[in-house]
Amino acid sequence: MDTGFLRVLFDPGRFFEARMQGEPGLKVPALIAIVIGLIGAASTIPMADITAAMLPAEMQGLGVVMMVISAAAAFIGGFLGWIIYSLIFYLVSMAFKGQGDLKRTVEFVGYGLLPQIFGGIIGTYFSYRLLSGLTVQPMTSPEQMVEFSESLVAVLTTDPLAQIAGVVTILFLVWSANIWIFGMKYARNLSTRNAVLTVGIPVGLYILYMLITLSGWL
Amino acid sequence: MKPLNTLIISLLCAVMMLAAPISAAPADIAVTSSSLDPQVLMRGDTGTLAVTIQNSGTESVAIRSARLYGSGVVPLSDSYLQVGALGAGNSRTFTFTVRADGDEGISYPVFVLEFRDGASSLRHPVPVQVENTPLSASVVKKPDAFTASRTADITVRVGNPRSNDVSGVQVIPQGSGFTVTPGSAFIGSLAPDASGTVAFNLTPTTETDVTFQVVWRNGINTHTADLVLPITFGEDKRQADPVITNVEVTPIAGGYRIVGDVMNAGLESARSVVISSGSPAMPIDPFRVYVVGTLDPDDISSFEVTFKADGTMAEIPVVVEYRDNDGNRYTTSTSVGLGGTTPAPHEKQGEGMPATGIAIVVVVLAVVIGAVYHSWRRK
Repeated sequence: MDTGFLRVLFDPGRFFEARMQGEPGLKVPALIAIVIGLIGAASTIPMADITAAMLPAEMQGLGVVMMVISAAAAFIGGFLGWIIYSLIFYLVSMAFKGQGDLKRTVEFVGYGLLPQIFGGIIGTYFSYRLLSGLTVQPMTSPEQMVEFSESLVAVLTTDPLAQIAGVVTILFLVWSANIWIFGMKYARNLSTRNAVLTVGIPVGLYILYMLITLSGWL
Repeated sequence: MKPLNTLIISLLCAVMMLAAPISAAPADIAVTSSSLDPQVLMRGDTGTLAVTIQNSGTESVAIRSARLYGSGVVPLSDSYLQVGALGAGNSRTFTFTVRADGDEGISYPVFVLEFRDGASSLRHPVPVQVENTPLSASVVKKPDAFTASRTADITVRVGNPRSNDVSGVQVIPQGSGFTVTPGSAFIGSLAPDASGTVAFNLTPTTETDVTFQVVWRNGINTHTADLVLPITFGEDKRQADPVITNVEVTPIAGGYRIVGDVMNAGLESARSVVISSGSPAMPIDPFRVYVVGTLDPDDISSFEVTFKADGTMAEIPVVVEYRDNDGNRYTTSTSVGLGGTTPAPHEKQGEGMPATGIAIVVVVLAVVIGAVYHSWRRK
């Protein structure tokens, strides 16, 4: 059964094998990156609300500006993640004598970001749940804002919900890594072993970093 | 002169010569001693005055009556109206009940002895000392300040400035608004210039006056003297003083955590020290209360309490409860500022959500495992 690009989620091998028959196309991956960026921008809204609440009434305009900036940064972050993953995998695969266009790598890495859409939705839900319960009073000095920010970090890091969100993020990253393995295997003409190493080393290091951070929360 | 007349005259002379030694002269009777019990009377006291006479002659003396007259010290008992003869060399004591009606000083009631001859009598003033000085009482030990429901050690000293012994001395605390142990204290006899001390454990419940009533007996007469001790509450300079320092407020899921140090800055031990968050904050697990135990002077201990608070609260009280050595409970409260800079987590945030989150994790895990397994199986 051909379900389009969604087939990459459960059958990435055959999907990428079929994609290799055509020219590299970045429309769908770019669409995926846009969706991820939009979700990321939406996830910044609760934090932006809190930031605006901290500001005195006469500075509420600045809060709006900060909200727009943070949303834009999150949106761009979706594209940046796509590009950074692509470059890293491309470079690492060179160590395994990988052959193939960078554009193909970028295309396949973009498809591999598809699970991040689901992860982003769930993460945004957790973010809303975490931050919507906070009560914030307007602050009058920068020192108070700094103190509040430190306290907010303490709240977020000690909440079980934040730890659960971290675990969910890791799970979706594993899912993406699984897709990227098949993607790099075909995009860079690697053996399965070398494809696993190409993706596993950087993603593994990143997951290790996340686990260390999570264990610090615990 | 006829011989018969001469005989009669001779017989009469002989009879007179024989009769003369039988009726000794009253001058042979003398008061040899007198005693008063008690030795010194107070105004209004009743005592007994004993007067002893002795016949130092060689013949008995017929005594008609023995009486006592006086104004400052008046006799209460009847006079001796039928005394009879007092043999040669014998002595006799006459005892009168007297009452001191006069002022301080020495009174001289007159002891009067009337003889049978009807012509002579013996009058002897007897000195009787009257002194109104009461026993003196003073508080020699008490706390610097009294505190409600806190037991205080009170020591009362009773001295005897009188010139005679007193007996049955006891001290009885009287009044209301306090409890005291013992209810009365017995000292017993006090010699002149002697003193005795008694101790009481007094626990006031309200500000009041405690009257230490000193009761004693002077002979058979009971007297009292009051010593009033005002009980006013104040701060005990030695009492335990738990001070909270080094406080750090940390937001946690569902509330706040306060960690800090509590130090006893007082001079007495604080026992059973318990620290908790006070209203309007609501204690939550895991540290609803923190039991420190005993804090000796200058001791310090860390503590930790967790609580839930409304986000509008700028500060919450941290309550320290402790007891003194007598078990009296004290409470001090220290406000700890949340500063408005600490985010207040939603109070229902931590309830139920972890279960939902765990369910989400399980579902995601199952989907990811299924996807990975499916992708590699079809390879």
